[in-house]
Amino acid sequence: MRGVSKHYGEKRAVDNVDLDIPRGSIYGFLGPNGAGKTTTIRAIMKIILPDAGDILFAGRPLDKRLRDRIGYLPEERGLYRKMKCVDQLAYLAELKGVGRRDARQRADHWLERMGLSEWRDRQVDALSKGMQQKIQFAATFIFEPDLVILDEVFSGLDPLNIELLRDMILEEKDKGTTVIFSTHMLSEAEKICDAICLIEGGEVIVDGTMADVRAGFPLRSVRVAWDGNVEPPAELAGVLHREFNEGTWQLTLAEGIDPPTLLPPLTAAGPLTLFSANRPTLNEIFLEAVARHRGEVPA
Amino acid sequence: MSRVLTIVRKEYLERVKSKSFIIGTVLGPVLMSLVIVVPLLVANSGADDERTIGVVDVSGEFFAPLQEALADQGRQGVRLLPLNSEGKSTEQCVEDLKRMILEESVHSGVVIADDFIDSREIAFYNKSVSSLVVRDEILRPALNRLLREGRFARVEVPDTLFNYLAARSDWTSISVTAEGGEEEQDEAVSFAMAFTLIMIIYIMVIMYGSHTLTAVIEEKSSRMVELLLASVTPGNLMLGKVLGIGLAGLTQFGIWAGAFFFLSQRGVSVGEVTLDVGFLTPVILVSFVVFFLLGFFLYATLYAGFGAMCNTVQDSQQFHTPLAMGLVIPMLLLSLVLRAPDSTLSVVLSLVPLFSPVLMFMRVCVETPPLWQIGLSWGLLVISIWLASRMAGKLFRMGILMYGASPNWATLFKVLRD
Repeated sequence: MRGVSKHYGEKRAVDNVDLDIPRGSIYGFLGPNGAGKTTTIRAIMKIILPDAGDILFAGRPLDKRLRDRIGYLPEERGLYRKMKCVDQLAYLAELKGVGRRDARQRADHWLERMGLSEWRDRQVDALSKGMQQKIQFAATFIFEPDLVILDEVFSGLDPLNIELLRDMILEEKDKGTTVIFSTHMLSEAEKICDAICLIEGGEVIVDGTMADVRAGFPLRSVRVAWDGNVEPPAELAGVLHREFNEGTWQLTLAEGIDPPTLLPPLTAAGPLTLFSANRPTLNEIFLEAVARHRGEVPA
Repeated sequence: MSRVLTIVRKEYLERVKSKSFIIGTVLGPVLMSLVIVVPLLVANSGADDERTIGVVDVSGEFFAPLQEALADQGRQGVRLLPLNSEGKSTEQCVEDLKRMILEESVHSGVVIADDFIDSREIAFYNKSVSSLVVRDEILRPALNRLLREGRFARVEVPDTLFNYLAARSDWTSISVTAEGGEEEQDEAVSFAMAFTLIMIIYIMVIMYGSHTLTAVIEEKSSRMVELLLASVTPGNLMLGKVLGIGLAGLTQFGIWAGAFFFLSQRGVSVGEVTLDVGFLTPVILVSFVVFFLLGFFLYATLYAGFGAMCNTVQDSQQFHTPLAMGLVIPMLLLSLVLRAPDSTLSVVLSLVPLFSPVLMFMRVCVETPPLWQIGLSWGLLVISIWLASRMAGKLFRMGILMYGASPNWATLFKVLRD
């Protein structure tokens, strides 16, 4: 994606987005609501035309034929309410160029895979919202796409179904499918993404592989616990903030403090049972990245 | 192209298999014949209702002949009630008559002066305007006859001469066919057939046209549209929908036409009207199909474009009504064109693309207008369809992903201008 921009009237939805999405990876497209994720995705799908910039797929400009290789699960998604599940899946597969008979076979296969075989000939109306989500999910993968774009795929699902879909995404990835995964739920993205980008206000503020991104955001806190009712020493060099939570102390470190340097004073305070350096969560990384981007905190 | 066919098949099957299609196919002809037969029945029956008419026959000479004259005219439903009786003055009888009219024990009444043959004076008493039918169509002809007979009798005209003078002209209607032959025809049946076909065009275009509107809105409100746009272009989506729905309409008409031919081959008749295919000349048949298809495509593309701008069916009302007017106006103009199918006004009106499916087809039914005019109206329709699909395509692309505020004409023009 090279220099993609889209404006709606005065409002800037996406500004000069430059991204590389590695083949065969699960790519997290992250950011709060209204950050410009959906607009960018719609531009990829050619549903809207960007004001500027190019989108290349395997080095070539995206045309209609290439678009048939992309599966898209929009955030605004629905199904024909009065249509049978199997017809619905077969219809959507056919619209992506799958032959008629083949489409029906695949529809049956996917219904089975989703555990919805007994609902095959029922109208979508009769299905629960979670089941409908699964049908939509199946429709995205049914024509064996090379690239799949999932916009807020987990919203409104129970933990069990989230688990099921997450496993399927990983399965498809193992088959070589590239997955672009957009969400504002950073904790979900953290579990499956190989690479991410963070978008805020229509701009990319961080992108790269998970490891690269983490490397840019060093440890900032440690968790500590003692046997018995022990408090950390009142004066601890390099600790900005302390908080007691469920039997452990969370200590926020000042910049440039190496966690092991805290060990001696802490062991001196009492019988230490826990000392762990916290990896920053994506949530924390995001908050800090936004702060850095706005120039509030130096990088 | 295969994608468009996939959409066409889905839209077509969805409609043809629906309950409303099956019910509509069965009930359509029933409703249609009601629309046509009921007004005919009402028009004919108004004068035949059971009615009692009070008669104040001052001389007492006219009551029996009047009863006879009415029977001759076939007015069995009309009962005459004599109101004169011994010892009552004419004024008292008239008072009785007025009271009975107010009590509704008689419908209306006549007072026949005793010197009727000389003075020709009849007074008609009634309560409502509706009794004018009784006055003009029932009593007046009968009493005119009594007057004539009375005067002929007074000057002693012999019966043979009287019959000779009272003769009426004897009529037969013959319609000249293009093949040079001539056949007796029943204008009422031809007119009913023409009117039926026009009603079919009108109802089908408005019904299936607005189907595209609701289909587009349904796709939008079910949030299906973004999923579809990942596979097909907005233009193809619209094309597939319009074609699929149009085919469903054509299928319905095909079933009706098939049933009609089947029944008419067997000489089945509805009431007193024998089903007759003789009226359906090739020109009329071809025109019907072409006008139906072109009319449908014109309205359906416009409806699809407007539908894409709306989020709910309620939103669409403001666009639906003006479009439907495009079909209602020619229905109102039908009688104007029927009276003078060749006038400049009729020709011009029947060439207006929004009107021509109804008005030009009407002209084809009542006379055969010059072929160039039929061709021109088809050409104009095709051009308008092309323009409409360009406009609708634009509205569709812009509107289909627009959610939120309900649209109005201002946003519509803004989108079209951009």
